[in-house]
Amino acid sequence: MKQKHGVCTFCGTGCGHFLAVESDTVTRVFPSQNHPVSKGRLCVRGWNIHELLTTKERITVPMVREDGVLRECTYDEAISKVVDVLSSLKSRPSEMGFLASPRATNEETYLFSKLGRAVFNTNNISLDSESGHRNSLNVLHEGAGFPGMNCPVEDIRKAEFVLVLGIDITKQNPIIGSEIHLAAQNGTQVVTVDSRRTQIAKLSNDFLQIHPGSNTLFLGALGKAVIDQKLAAADFIASAVEGYDDFAATVAGLTEDQIVSGTGISYDDIKKIARKLAAANTAMAFFSSGISGLDEETIRCLFNVFAITGNIGKEGSGLNPVAGLNNLQGGYDMGAAPDLLSGFQSLEDVKVRSAYAAEWGSEPPAIPGRSIPELLEDESTPLKALVVSDHDEGIIRYADRLKEIDFIAYIGAFRNPFTEYADVVIPVASYIETDGTFTNTERRIQLSEKKVEAPDGVLPGWNVYTMIARKAGADWNYSSAEDVMNEIVKVTPRYAGVSYDRLRSRGIAGIQWPCDGNNPEGTPFFSLEKAGGKLKCLALSGDFEVKTADPDYPLLLMVGKAQHFWHQNNLMKKTYIPLREYNATLLDYPEGFVEINSADAYELGVRNHWTVRVVSLSGSMDVAVKISDDVKPGTAYSPYFVQDMIKKFLLGHTNILRQGEDATIPVRIEKV
Amino acid sequence: MIMFLIKKSDVLEIAKELGKEYQVLGPVVDTDSGQTFFEKTEPELIQLKAPIPSVPPKYTVFPQIETLMRYRYDRESKAVEIRELYEAKPKALFGLRSCDLSGLLCLDRFFLGQEFVDEAYRVHRKKMFIVTNTCVTPFKNCFCVCTDSGPAAEEGYDLNLTELDDVYLVEAGSDKGRELAERMGLEKADESYAVKKKEAVDKSVSLFEEFATDSKAWISRVMNRVTTGFIREDVWEYIGDQCFECGACTFVCPSCSCFNIVDVNNADGSSERLRTWDSCSYEGYSRMAGGHNPRKPVEDRRNKRFFCKLSYSQMKKYLRPGCVGCGRCAWVCPGNIGLPKVVEYVRRETHK
Repeated sequence: MKQKHGVCTFCGTGCGHFLAVESDTVTRVFPSQNHPVSKGRLCVRGWNIHELLTTKERITVPMVREDGVLRECTYDEAISKVVDVLSSLKSRPSEMGFLASPRATNEETYLFSKLGRAVFNTNNISLDSESGHRNSLNVLHEGAGFPGMNCPVEDIRKAEFVLVLGIDITKQNPIIGSEIHLAAQNGTQVVTVDSRRTQIAKLSNDFLQIHPGSNTLFLGALGKAVIDQKLAAADFIASAVEGYDDFAATVAGLTEDQIVSGTGISYDDIKKIARKLAAANTAMAFFSSGISGLDEETIRCLFNVFAITGNIGKEGSGLNPVAGLNNLQGGYDMGAAPDLLSGFQSLEDVKVRSAYAAEWGSEPPAIPGRSIPELLEDESTPLKALVVSDHDEGIIRYADRLKEIDFIAYIGAFRNPFTEYADVVIPVASYIETDGTFTNTERRIQLSEKKVEAPDGVLPGWNVYTMIARKAGADWNYSSAEDVMNEIVKVTPRYAGVSYDRLRSRGIAGIQWPCDGNNPEGTPFFSLEKAGGKLKCLALSGDFEVKTADPDYPLLLMVGKAQHFWHQNNLMKKTYIPLREYNATLLDYPEGFVEINSADAYELGVRNHWTVRVVSLSGSMDVAVKISDDVKPGTAYSPYFVQDMIKKFLLGHTNILRQGEDATIPVRIEKV
Repeated sequence: MIMFLIKKSDVLEIAKELGKEYQVLGPVVDTDSGQTFFEKTEPELIQLKAPIPSVPPKYTVFPQIETLMRYRYDRESKAVEIRELYEAKPKALFGLRSCDLSGLLCLDRFFLGQEFVDEAYRVHRKKMFIVTNTCVTPFKNCFCVCTDSGPAAEEGYDLNLTELDDVYLVEAGSDKGRELAERMGLEKADESYAVKKKEAVDKSVSLFEEFATDSKAWISRVMNRVTTGFIREDVWEYIGDQCFECGACTFVCPSCSCFNIVDVNNADGSSERLRTWDSCSYEGYSRMAGGHNPRKPVEDRRNKRFFCKLSYSQMKKYLRPGCVGCGRCAWVCPGNIGLPKVVEYVRRETHK
């Protein structure tokens, strides 16, 4: 049959699809009806993935820059160039960096990180431009020892209560949004907390439209409401939770005034939500993880609330950070972080390093490196060479810095504006032209087997990295992606039981890690009973301050929301229908927009599409007005999908943007 | 009607015979996933009793993406070179369900039955041999009895198969069909078989209550409402709020025919004109150059879709309801607003 099963490679949901292959090209796509995650559904992106998979906008020939211009060359010449530069820096590892891709396969990312560490001696290895998902993993690791989403998507209907926090989930991860919607129809109490009215807000039982930037305060108040009403799960806390008293003391200090003025929600309403949460036998929370997800303090607070209500560590319950990109979770699993090795093992752990040494022949360097965005942002770092794997355009916010770097190598399958900065460009096979595994947001490792031939002479990623390593004198002998997985499982306890044969034997289901001797068929949900030990209520800074507007800057501007992220997505630009859909906003608002409530628009005397000036303490930008009652009076929303907005305005607020979903900027809006 | 008989165990001989002249497509089941497809296949792999295929055979005449032509304009000589790129081998669709044939007939009306004849569609559609298969038991998602499209095909086939005890009744619906049956030397069936077939079809209809449990669609009641427009706006808003704008309902619909045209420039200076499936659920579908969008809110676009499927005015175009009762839109919808659900909401005036 010409229908070949595969995994959708757009967002982190990891939906199953069938691709029809005729004359070595993909002719159509169809959802996989019995796939455990997607059960026969796909979103607008997934339904049109064949457009990406047949695009002509591919990199098909290696190139090197000569006299300012890229010229075609052989793999050997391009690879020699990379090796020459990186070898010369080997004694100064802080001067080079490896920017891994949250889209590449596990095998590719593992080798990419190994190349950095084992061959070129650096720990300056990181994933995408923003650290949202790392925040989630840190919290879950510290609090429960389980650095991943707690529940499988399949179990959402088992939850009696679902909290959706600051994520436009029906747009970002539509099929997970669908499961939440179906659960709501089935009787699950769905509560959405967001500063903008999203689609899931309309489909929820309760929608609390909190003030921008008050997620942490809201969760603190929710914790207080649980405790004040004596709703905490006392028996569970006694047997399985440490640190309850500290958390209780931290939130006890919150006053009703502070809660109401900070969140814009009455304490009675929050108490009502606390009662619903406590009444449920099973409860889940979903939040954005990835590009501008929640900050760590907010997730810690959320963890505590769910821990003290007994909702972490059992079937149908838990915290679920939702990854925006197809292999963001897998990227972290493969150790693409300056201080991590695969499977969230600490680089500083001597035992882990020696286990690696047994397999690699040498220990990975012991001192943690720095993340690439950090290195790019900090002008004082001596970054001289950067190796980039398949990447979106978000990083181009550092365009000026990129121009200053002596040497950039870009390795990827699709044409990308990043190549303008590259000195060497090396093509690799795309998802369907090689074997590989992807790990979705719910820790499901799925095998994607080769379906079509790569364009003439283009090699798979594992092959290219092997060639680079061998050219640099390392003794790498992989002859397939499967060989790479066979090594990954030896150094990664959480993947220990995985093999291509086992993945194949499970048909289209994949395996959810941890998969090891104790869990040969994987681990669908995090079970505290099975894991042993206790949950830790996590220490909080106790700072619940919410930024407020002032008379000079009366509106609170929300930025950095993730739903418009797909505009900057390099893959989206290689399609027709999704490009049209995602570009509509850009076509309607070529200079970007600021969304304000109709009451504020009336007061300002502006109408839809009029140009206004958004002024903050540290900058201003001219954008169009979009009037919508999806934002409350006194708040404004501006997604950063236009390069000029990023460069002229948002870059001046880098520190604020680091707060992710809680980031707000006080502004005033002037008519121009 | 000229009728023949074939032994049950020999029924795929017809597909094999067709294979001599045509590319044979039929229902096949993927072993890993258990999913049914309607695909190009070796005749002996066809599983006539498989549940209705997850994807309708619409793509055989109207591919999800297709290059219609390549063209080149030479600025200096002002010469234009245009080359058609679509091509089609003669296809035999074997074991088509009646709902899918009804969908094909709707597409025929749209692409061939109006002022302009769509040449690419015509090339795919001509020289096609269609063998339908009567559903002697309905599947759980079916409601073709409400949309006049089953459980047995009534027109548009070359041969129609109906399983009766240990034989298949083979009805010839065209000269082409009759000639094939005669060439194969099939035994003629006497008139008593027409009675037996009617009994089988009646029995199938009676089984809907018990088997077709997923979808109860009181289509006729709602057709009136959709046509006259007496539906509260907040009912459409309730439905629109649940739309994820994925396009799935239109893509799996056997009768949906909307498409998008894109011109892509090649590196060598030529351009290609592509046709892709489009969906009224997409905002960009109704957006005009200049930014005006007469159907910007999603509920307006949903409203349009169900007008297409359920209104009398649309029936005048298709000469039948636009909905063929296959139930696929309910399978694939992340918002749980497949057509039967919408019919229910409209009937009960469900709103927030």
